Amino acid sequence: MKKLSWLITFSWCLLLFVSSPLHSSQVFPYNYQIEELENGLKVVSIPLKNPHIISYYTIVRSGSRNEIEPGKSGFAHFFEHMMFKGTKNMPREAYDNFLTKLGAGTNGYTTDDYTCYFVVFAGREHLKDVVRVEADRFINLYFDEEMLKTEAPVIEGEYYSSVSNPFRRLYELLRHTAFEKHPYKHTTLGYLEDIKDMPNEFAYSQLYKKRFYAPDNTILLVVGDFNHEELMTYVRQYYGPWKKSGYKLVTPTEPPQKKQKRAHYEWPTKTLPRLAIAFHGPAYSDTKIDKAALDLLAEIYFSSRSPLYQKLVIDEQICLSLNASFPDRRDPYLLIFTAVLKEEKDLPLVEKAIFEELNKAKTEPVSEKLLQDVKANLKYSFLRAMETTDGVAGTLAFYINLTTDPGTVNRLFNLYEKITPQDIQEIAKKYFTVNNSTVVTLTGGKGK
Amino acid sequence: MKSIYRRLIIIPLILGLSIVFSACVKKSPPPLRTELLPVDGNPFVSFRILLKVGSAHDPIGKEGLCYLTLSMLANGGSQTLSYKEIQNKFYPMAASLRVQVDKEMSVFTGTIHIDNLEKYYQILKEMLLNPGFREEDFIRLKTNQLNFLEKTLVNNMDEQFGQEILNLMLYEDHPYGHHEAGTVESVRKLTLEDVKNFYRTHFVQGNIIIGLAGGYPADFPDKVVADFSQLPEGETPQLQLPPPRQPQGLEIMIAEKKTPATAISMGFPIQITKADDDFFALWIAQAHFGEHRQHLSWLFQKIREERGQNYGDYAYIEHFVQGRDKFPEPNHCRQQQYFSIWIRPLANSNRHFVLRQAIRELKKLVEEGVPAERFELAREYLLNYTKLYAQTLGERLGWQMDSHYYGYEDFLAEVQKRLPKITHEQVNQAVRKYLNFENMYIAIITEDAQSLKEALVANTPSPITYANPNMPPEILQEDLIIQNFPLKVNPDKIWIVPATAFFQRVGLPR
Repeated sequence: MKKLSWLITFSWCLLLFVSSPLHSSQVFPYNYQIEELENGLKVVSIPLKNPHIISYYTIVRSGSRNEIEPGKSGFAHFFEHMMFKGTKNMPREAYDNFLTKLGAGTNGYTTDDYTCYFVVFAGREHLKDVVRVEADRFINLYFDEEMLKTEAPVIEGEYYSSVSNPFRRLYELLRHTAFEKHPYKHTTLGYLEDIKDMPNEFAYSQLYKKRFYAPDNTILLVVGDFNHEELMTYVRQYYGPWKKSGYKLVTPTEPPQKKQKRAHYEWPTKTLPRLAIAFHGPAYSDTKIDKAALDLLAEIYFSSRSPLYQKLVIDEQICLSLNASFPDRRDPYLLIFTAVLKEEKDLPLVEKAIFEELNKAKTEPVSEKLLQDVKANLKYSFLRAMETTDGVAGTLAFYINLTTDPGTVNRLFNLYEKITPQDIQEIAKKYFTVNNSTVVTLTGGKGK
Repeated sequence: MKSIYRRLIIIPLILGLSIVFSACVKKSPPPLRTELLPVDGNPFVSFRILLKVGSAHDPIGKEGLCYLTLSMLANGGSQTLSYKEIQNKFYPMAASLRVQVDKEMSVFTGTIHIDNLEKYYQILKEMLLNPGFREEDFIRLKTNQLNFLEKTLVNNMDEQFGQEILNLMLYEDHPYGHHEAGTVESVRKLTLEDVKNFYRTHFVQGNIIIGLAGGYPADFPDKVVADFSQLPEGETPQLQLPPPRQPQGLEIMIAEKKTPATAISMGFPIQITKADDDFFALWIAQAHFGEHRQHLSWLFQKIREERGQNYGDYAYIEHFVQGRDKFPEPNHCRQQQYFSIWIRPLANSNRHFVLRQAIRELKKLVEEGVPAERFELAREYLLNYTKLYAQTLGERLGWQMDSHYYGYEDFLAEVQKRLPKITHEQVNQAVRKYLNFENMYIAIITEDAQSLKEALVANTPSPITYANPNMPPEILQEDLIIQNFPLKVNPDKIWIVPATAFFQRVGLPR
């Protein structure tokens, strides 16, 4: 057994860390340990002194990014639904009853890069049963074609549950327009025509399971009131028989964008006009400065304290909201700016203002004080998310998906510390060009 | 004559005595209350400044005033700082001050790292005690409120739209009977002077509970109390609410709009709150029948899991707002509550079938009760799941405040004491006492409303089809019953209204 045991020098516990995060080089405040079984299953364990509660997360590194074949958009999310169908040892009803008796907060979610399953429960005496049942679910999942055909329309229902939200349409169109080859072209829900075809995808579901639901593509993250050695005893016992996949995913490389793209969505009823501008950006990294510098840039120029936000939202009140979102992804993704406006006629004005602000970022260095404010904001925001075991696990699951290593959080925040005003200027010049941009608008039909 | 004289003498005497008596027992103004939850060593401090005033206190014709006034405090400037300056000062602390407005209470919430407690509190104090009430903030926030009512709520969030139509039906001609944000007509008329008056009248000591949790210094609460004691004395009396009108049969309101999916919410007022002993028994029944976003929900099992109709189906015995994860958000206490069923959007073609199915399941619950094994399951679930309710400082403090509102020292501890003692029969008695399936308000958002109305009135069979050609025979057998399940719909109690007609003015647009 390969053992990678890490112990961070800081020893804060959930309710007792009191030092200012501004004076620490390690923003992630808890000890953790990592072990890896022979079959490749990695286990990240964070025992905390939070009485009674344990958050048990299973992170499968498969999301929309893995949907590389045509017609399979949304399949990672669909498979997440199928993961609740039980096994021959413990059929769905028995599995549901187990979690119900446990009173667990439980669910799954699918993202662009990973699918996550969590069981949050009270009582360390239940740990062994949870490990046993979850291992059984992942190793021995069973569903037949009829079960799949019954579940498939639920996805359509999920699609309908947000069909009245214009932002969903805006993002769908933005991604579809901005990407040519990479599976980030579609959202995690997938295209409606692919959703409608899901009842016919039983054979593919078996292939998908074989490829991605395997220990060498999965990480267990356990946070809360338990003993590490006890946890590992159960994990070895129950997850040991799980067989490796060995499948190597090759995602298509997105070609460089050569000229600006534009698209528009006409909403059928009254709605507030919306604008999205995206630029192709870098993948997540905790060693190269590009993405970290872009994170700081987003805050400096587009947060609630930025001059542009205050001009458009507070002073002139042209926009109801203005945001910059540069999500971290395993592959190069988008740097997205969105605005909700009051009047359609102001769409060109707001678009122009965003481009002008990005030009300012290229030419005018930001003040050191402002940069420090942004770094402080990021640290305090991160720490606020650490208040519960679930908060720790949910936040860390995201970072672990990116690199498989919780240490990435501290490396990222240390990278933030090193970034200078000049770095931000250079990075703005590199990514924010007109030819690299995609502009999508949505306006509200005849009744606006 | 004698008697008249006697009255002339006696009446003033009684009045005089009354005045003297009332002067003697004149209540001193209610003191500023606190709810404290110190957690030594915790690096955060959570604030919950609760105001015992909500949208039900809006003056007639000024619906939305409470919401706008409190938005001005949380999202506007103070006398010393503009809103922009507040944003700039909050930013490095990753701080915010949020407000939630319910019918009878509102709460300002914020959590701050102990590093920044003093700086944060000085700003918060100014925002709440010395608000700026600037014209530009007023215009911005009033416009946002109007946009929400006119555009967003009606056009961009059908699930909430359905629940809000149900609220209008539940509380017609009642102080709860308008959206917290008011109506288009009433908000348009609101003035900055209205806002200032509402603040002066209601932001008084007797209405406020100062909630603090976390690692604050020992003398901090006294300091906060001293500051808030500068507010005028006084108290807004608790509302004397009329009983809400009970539905007579099935009363159906269809909001018509172009949409590929139908959203349904239904329910009726119930005479029970957390303060009642029966609440615990009825809660077990609710957990069985429709626990929020859990597989335990029987409706979820029947509609989604067995038939794949939609994303989920749930039921509630009190007003429910989802907070962190799927847990109930605290500080939505009310004197009056309602039962409701939430059917998440489903294909228009299946709307009639699923409406029938949900009401049929409710009928079975009322007539047959909770099955014994499901009673045990739901009780065990609640005993364990409620241990997860209050994890953050803010949640713990919020539940502490709600506990006291409903007369408990600690409601969540009470759950652990009471649930194990509740019997299966008590649960079924509570179901029979408080629930019914024949008298219900139903809000539906869909297209082609006329054909649905005709089908409902005529009780037309509503068969559905499945992608799975080999559905289990027992389900297909049950479908035959469901598709013909009779709903007693009186054509005079079903209204079709364009979706855009809602929230224009108080009441239902029929």
